Amino acid sequence: MNALPAWLTDSRLSEDIEPLLRQTDDESLERLAAEAQAVTLRRFGRIISLYAPLYLSNFCSSGCVYCGFASDRTSPRRKLEFDEIERELRAMKKIGIGDVLLLTGERTNAAGFDYLRRSVELTARIMPRVAIEAFPMSVAEYRALAECGCTGLTIYQETYDPENYAKLHRWGPKQDFLERLETPERAITGGIRSVGIGALLGLSEPIGEALAVARHARHLCRTYWKAGVSVSFPRIRPQEGSFQPAYVVNDRFLARMIMAFRTAMPDIDLVLSTRESSNFRDGMAGLGITRMSIASRTTVGGYVEAETAGASQFEVSDDRSAEEFCAALRAKNLEPVFKNWDAAYNNPLPEKERA
Amino acid sequence: MNALRLGSYTFSSRLILGTGKFSSVSAMIEAVRASGSQLVTVALRRFNREQAEDDLFGPLSEIEGLTLMPNTSGAATAKEAVKAAHISRELSGSPFIKVEIHPNPHHLMPDPIETYEACKILAAEEFIVMPYIPADPVLAKRLEEVGCSSVMPLGSAIGSGQGLSTSAMVQLIIRESSIPVIVDAGLRSPSEACAAMEMGCEAVLVNSAIAVARDPAAMAGAFARAVEAGYDARNAGLMQRSGSAVATSPLTSFLGAGS
Repeated sequence: MNALPAWLTDSRLSEDIEPLLRQTDDESLERLAAEAQAVTLRRFGRIISLYAPLYLSNFCSSGCVYCGFASDRTSPRRKLEFDEIERELRAMKKIGIGDVLLLTGERTNAAGFDYLRRSVELTARIMPRVAIEAFPMSVAEYRALAECGCTGLTIYQETYDPENYAKLHRWGPKQDFLERLETPERAITGGIRSVGIGALLGLSEPIGEALAVARHARHLCRTYWKAGVSVSFPRIRPQEGSFQPAYVVNDRFLARMIMAFRTAMPDIDLVLSTRESSNFRDGMAGLGITRMSIASRTTVGGYVEAETAGASQFEVSDDRSAEEFCAALRAKNLEPVFKNWDAAYNNPLPEKERA
Repeated sequence: MNALRLGSYTFSSRLILGTGKFSSVSAMIEAVRASGSQLVTVALRRFNREQAEDDLFGPLSEIEGLTLMPNTSGAATAKEAVKAAHISRELSGSPFIKVEIHPNPHHLMPDPIETYEACKILAAEEFIVMPYIPADPVLAKRLEEVGCSSVMPLGSAIGSGQGLSTSAMVQLIIRESSIPVIVDAGLRSPSEACAAMEMGCEAVLVNSAIAVARDPAAMAGAFARAVEAGYDARNAGLMQRSGSAVATSPLTSFLGAGS
């Protein structure tokens, strides 16, 4: 492997977060919570931005040991046809969703770049904001997606430990650690406005992972100052394949990690998905977390046919309806916001600048 | 109170409200009513015609006597801001546009170059243009020259609650300006709004300090009274500051009094 980028090992980029993560006592946790809440309130007010994932396809060319979509899983493969995508989006729109994250597995012939591009184009005609969580692409491909209305990218490094990364990714294009690590930068260069990063917590030693995520976020913020950067905190969940994570990341550590990120990086969105329990999500809303997924279906075609859809990438923990979840936020004096973006800002490049 | 003039419009209230960050649409509406504001800003990205519960524009447009000033929050370039202004005018019918261009989505500091470019275009298109700007006296004059109806320098960073940390620069802007100067962003307390008015601002724009208060409507009322007090105090003539004691009875009155 080529040399790791300097920022990944630069401890100065995470020196303020490290002591907060290493504390273990209740008193420091409570102090951190109070500060995280105050910073969140001051900077973001009482609103929580909502989004929902739409799984386009579970075809995949990689062999990640921890994923239900890995290419050696026996569950049936499926991708949504464009008329199905439209039906799913209409169903999502009915529950108020205005911000969609389109997901696929790693690049395959069945669901490659052109399929994704056309899916983005279709979604951008229906939803104010479209983001993707898909295979790494080239700058030119990201540029083409941005021109179709894609404004965001989420890509998890899974683990920032290169040795562990090599063991967990058994085959396929995802084996390239650096290719994945540099993906957010290629997306920004191609005109994608905001990138979301994170580690799949449980795969490697959690403090080291948290520090690497912090360094990555700071590196991106400093180098690409016009790009939005957000951080997610996915913990590994049960999935087909029954992989057992090497590290247990308990609720207390996860809460500490989120609150440490909030106090050290007051301006960035911190995201929590339905992987987490309703109790944990309700508790963390406004305590650092400013963006959450809602009513998620992690199966291909899960919104129209919730009962008959196939295998999921992982099991959802918070399975409340949009209504139930919003009621819980309102009970905490927080406002669920479904639309916090306008397609007016999807700014395709002028003809002459197109590649 | 004399009227605040913006373009051909006049307002008796000098408190302008921002409408983001509230715990609910109803909390926001209550605060707007309690503030007595006649001009409020609302982000195009929070217009949601398809879901009433999530929409800020609809409920605000139903308040009698309220003028809406759409803003371009989310725009990173002049081109995006102009596009957002056109869409906002079409949707709201309001001639007002608050130009907000912040290319860095984290600290939300306004881009002076892109802001200038957008304002030049929008003022020529007869919008009532109110740009959110860094507290830069030269930029303020340049924006006045292209036809802006006001300038809105930041008191400090959005949502920071650091008050009038740009006070010296805002004073320079006020001294030179022929259009209303409105402090926008960073104010934390009614006393800071009062100070801005005493300093010579024609109005203040407040959002976070009201939206995140325990009782937003009560805080909105407090800001309204403070703005009025500051404006009245300025008109009443504030005493000059002095580095040394000044006697209440003149010390030299005996001169020329005859022998």
